[in-house]
Amino acid sequence: MRSLRREPVLLLALLAVIALVVLFILYPQLQVVFAPGPSGYADFLAGGTWLRPLRNSVEVTLLSTTTAVALGFVYAYAMVYSHMAWKPFFRIVGILPLLSPPFVVAFSYLLLFGPRGIITYGVFGQSPVIFGLFGIWGVQTIAYFPFAYQLIADVLSRSDARMEQAARNLGAGPWRVFRTVTLPLSRPGLGAAILTTAIYVLEDFGNPQTIGGVFTVLPTQAYSLISGFGDFTGAAAVSTILLLLALGLYVAKIRLDGGRAFVTISGRASSMPRPPVPRTVSAACFVACLALAALLILVYGTLVVSAFTAVFPTNLSFTTRHFEFVATGTNGDALKNTLVFSTVAAGLSAVFALFAGWLVQRGDWPGRGVLDFLLIMPAAIPGIFFGIGYLTAFNQAWLDWVDRGWLIILAMVFWNIPVGYQAAVAGLRQIDRSLDEAATSLGASKLRGFRDVLLPMLGGSLRVGFVTTFVRAVTTLSVVIFLFTPATTVATIRIYQLVNDLNWGGATAFTVADIGMAIVALIVFAVLARGRIALGAARA
Amino acid sequence: MPPVPEAVHLRVSHVTKRFGGVLAVDDVSFDVPRGAFATLLGPSGCGKTTTLRMIAGFYDPDAGDIEIGGRRVNDLPAHRRGTAMVFQDYALFPHMTVRDNVAYGLRVAHVGSSDRQRRVDETLSFVGLTGLGDRWPSQLSGGQQQRVAVARALVIEPQVLLLDEPLSNLDAKLREQLRVELRIMQRRLGMTFIYVTHDQAEALSLSDWIAVMNKGKVEQAGAPWEIYYHPRTAFLADFVGAVNLVPATIADLAAETVTVTFGRHQAAVRRPSEVPLAAGQDVRLCVRPESLTIAAPAAGANGVTLQGSIVRRAFLGDTMRYWVKVDDREWIVDQADPGGSAALDGPVSVSVRPDRVHLITA
Repeated sequence: MRSLRREPVLLLALLAVIALVVLFILYPQLQVVFAPGPSGYADFLAGGTWLRPLRNSVEVTLLSTTTAVALGFVYAYAMVYSHMAWKPFFRIVGILPLLSPPFVVAFSYLLLFGPRGIITYGVFGQSPVIFGLFGIWGVQTIAYFPFAYQLIADVLSRSDARMEQAARNLGAGPWRVFRTVTLPLSRPGLGAAILTTAIYVLEDFGNPQTIGGVFTVLPTQAYSLISGFGDFTGAAAVSTILLLLALGLYVAKIRLDGGRAFVTISGRASSMPRPPVPRTVSAACFVACLALAALLILVYGTLVVSAFTAVFPTNLSFTTRHFEFVATGTNGDALKNTLVFSTVAAGLSAVFALFAGWLVQRGDWPGRGVLDFLLIMPAAIPGIFFGIGYLTAFNQAWLDWVDRGWLIILAMVFWNIPVGYQAAVAGLRQIDRSLDEAATSLGASKLRGFRDVLLPMLGGSLRVGFVTTFVRAVTTLSVVIFLFTPATTVATIRIYQLVNDLNWGGATAFTVADIGMAIVALIVFAVLARGRIALGAARA
Repeated sequence: MPPVPEAVHLRVSHVTKRFGGVLAVDDVSFDVPRGAFATLLGPSGCGKTTTLRMIAGFYDPDAGDIEIGGRRVNDLPAHRRGTAMVFQDYALFPHMTVRDNVAYGLRVAHVGSSDRQRRVDETLSFVGLTGLGDRWPSQLSGGQQQRVAVARALVIEPQVLLLDEPLSNLDAKLREQLRVELRIMQRRLGMTFIYVTHDQAEALSLSDWIAVMNKGKVEQAGAPWEIYYHPRTAFLADFVGAVNLVPATIADLAAETVTVTFGRHQAAVRRPSEVPLAAGQDVRLCVRPESLTIAAPAAGANGVTLQGSIVRRAFLGDTMRYWVKVDDREWIVDQADPGGSAALDGPVSVSVRPDRVHLITA
């Protein structure tokens, strides 16, 4: 605390960070939570319209999380423990879904299994009713198992190979080692991975919105209350229920893993070899991964094929017409907006998160715990809630002079703060404080020491924050769905609209263009960062 | 506040520091003269590093004052105190070359580039690192890294140089070599060094002045010789080297000598100044193993002579250490240059000059 009094610049910087956090994280949330007021909540709760979406949300979250985690676990175990072939291939296939908006899985599902789907109708001549619980369950399983895989693989690869070597050395077989050493040691991490996946599923808006039909969950109900009925009070109340559920899961997760919680995919292999597993296990892992990879390729490949064909699936002649459509007019602007907004948001978010992480992790002022909590809290805030919060707080007439693009950028910046923040804190934890003190004892102020000594060593954290924020900004639908204007529309919004217009060709081409743009941008960033980029899979 | 005499460079007065409920430093006061090599010595957790870090400004004392050159520095931020520090793990900036590490403090102080260059070169040659300026810290050996850490701190010509166990990560041979070098550097620069260590041999060999700390307090401060031969407490005697601590009772007091009885023996030993003594008082005799002479049993040796028998022995290279049972008590006796004679065994006589026996009342 005294150090702040001695360095007024530092105090000013801290006050600025606190002001921004309060304004852009706390204030919009409070706006939503308090919008209905006591009587509003009483009427709403008495109305009971929230009961079914709540039950649906809980049900589908339980089902989808279970299956996504189960598949993710198989994939992760195979990647970390087995000696199967094609690991680099499986790794890439496992990462690609992270770069695409999760709701395009629902879209692909329509193409494959819908009333005129290539498999249901084309192969079996059936037009089943695919909307509702089972559709969402299947789609979310495919959309989120790659996330579960990344989280679980991270936990498993952190388990100490020396312990496993020791257990093998004491006479335990591979299965016994896994059951009695690996699993018990990684149980908290696995629990946290499951809860994180559950948060993803719970707040998923795009998939239920696309194929849910009358099966409403909390995020889709909040959306339809506003867009369909203009019932802002009801939407605020519904999304507050959603927020409470997500917060509950998040608090449980923090209790399990102590808040250490972001995953970095940098493709590095573990240095210490793990004890070998039997050949049959490796073979089984290969078959399982091949099946899962085939499923992912089917889902995403369908989109690519559709994007290049005249009318999928009835007229499969090659065309680039859809891409011409994507490149023109509002569509082209939407793509450009996505690129600009996401890049700017990623840069601002990474830098701000790093600075805030430094102030919290290296600070000695009272109230650090509160700022720490506020900075990781967005990780528990469903995108739909965050969007409604920004709509309420900042969509004001007196702010008309500000370009509405900034509203989207700021929402992306602060919704994604936890990734960069936790990467910064983790990075700082690995830098001994004696380095800061060395700079100080040589005459550098704390800010100067941060700039000269810590910042150059935190490149990894900065890149994790930047890349992850960029990817999540490119792929989000729920955060922006209430914030866009015709001039500031983005790719995910256009895809969503085109799906609703039943313009399959346009929608798939847009999806391919969006994912392709994200990949090209990541390659450019990688080149700029001299090949050293890492993607944080998890939102904290 | 009384004026600080010019000779005092660093004054720590009544400094206290708590961490939570733990009293890390408890009302510590001492003065360090300008140009002294001063050492804070003590076991881990005694508060020596905390004291050093309060001098550096990394911790704020809960009470008490710290003055450097007669100026109170409590309210100065760490980077304005002119107290460069050498860290235990060196804390070299891994993303800067040796030259940039050493130049860092000068760059922060806006020293012009030609002047900076010259001073960096001079300092690198002073610590014996000429030609290694373009290396990265990770390319250096432990001893070289340590020299960079010293150079980086010296180059800014600090008021006081703080060293926090700077040799503890080195192997024994190198440690001894760098000990000598540090002492020579300090003499040549005439700079005030405040050195923290838990290694008593290091403290004794380097320092002009030692403060031995225990449980947050300074137990005794003074010249190394004083600390070693005239410790005030049993803790000190035991902490600073091997020692025989023998319970005794004062039988008689004279102006220069004290007659004590221990076991069946009686001896007249030097009377310590400044310590109130009374006949019949229980005290302890403090005798360093190397002050004792061991020989085959014989009568008529000088001073105090005890008869005993050897229990076991250990060959330490430069000395042979014997454990000799005298009555019901084991004495440690070091025999210098053991190569000169065959190892002793069985009954022996152990003798000591009375002025080598030190009385401890605490």
